[in-house]
Amino acid sequence: MKISQTINRIKRVIAFSLFVVTFVYILTGLGITEYRIVEPLTGGLLSKNLSFIIHLDLLIPFSTLLAVHIAFRVIAGIYSALKRRNVSVNS
Amino acid sequence: MIIVVIMSSFIGYELVTSRKINEFASIEIKEYNGQKLSSINDFRENSINGPQYIDPLSYRLIVTGLVNKNMTYTYDDVINKHQLYEKVVTLNCVEGWDVTILWEGVLVKDLLEEAGINPKAKVVIFYAYDGYSTSFPLDFITSNQIIMAYKMNGVVLPPERGFPFELVAESKWGYKWIKWITKIELSDNVNFRGYWESRGYSNDANQDKPFMG
Repeated sequence: MKISQTINRIKRVIAFSLFVVTFVYILTGLGITEYRIVEPLTGGLLSKNLSFIIHLDLLIPFSTLLAVHIAFRVIAGIYSALKRRNVSVNS
Repeated sequence: MIIVVIMSSFIGYELVTSRKINEFASIEIKEYNGQKLSSINDFRENSINGPQYIDPLSYRLIVTGLVNKNMTYTYDDVINKHQLYEKVVTLNCVEGWDVTILWEGVLVKDLLEEAGINPKAKVVIFYAYDGYSTSFPLDFITSNQIIMAYKMNGVVLPPERGFPFELVAESKWGYKWIKWITKIELSDNVNFRGYWESRGYSNDANQDKPFMG
């Protein structure tokens, strides 16, 4: 029980982190291509230059989190399927 | 859900505000000496204040600064009183897109020599109608046959692409390709930084190096 709770907690952390990183990745991407909108919208905080730096630096974290998030889902799916199969065999 | 909404808004905005210059699709040159060219429509509009619309009749190009004689040209003066040159050059934007275009225009060197280059001059500064600016070492302009284009793919520059003149800054990142040029200034100020350069972009802007810093 404890293991599955820990796994669920990790899944939630990864999912939330992926959400935040995706949001920033998209925002900074737009901050590059649509800087005339994003810069004033962010009160001048997110300049084109800063958007470029953040966007390029986020590539690896974004890809890694996405891969881990998908992997967790796939593994969890396989685990559930196997568990259901074992239950039906035993019964 | 939030991400979808934001993306949809931007896509919608892009669709509403972008103006495809389709009227040139049928007349622009598509190939030159066996080399396939990009289209005038392949550019992304990413200027600092949007497209500028300059009246060709009232337009003046000023050549000033460390020159023997300040010069003022009308649009026709520039095109009709100077040798014209054609070149196929690729513009590489820091955003990741690129276009290969047949550019036609005048050598910047010819304009500078007409004004007379003061020996103290080290830098050529270009100013645009929308307040944009950029600069180059004088040596780069004079040694590399850099042209100031008035036509692209056989078509006179549309306003969205920089009418009346765009600099074909060969081998430099796209932010050096200043559009809507109104003034060329010769200076000895090697510390001058143009619009993006003063915001952290490389002043050299060589394509074989990163454009940051």
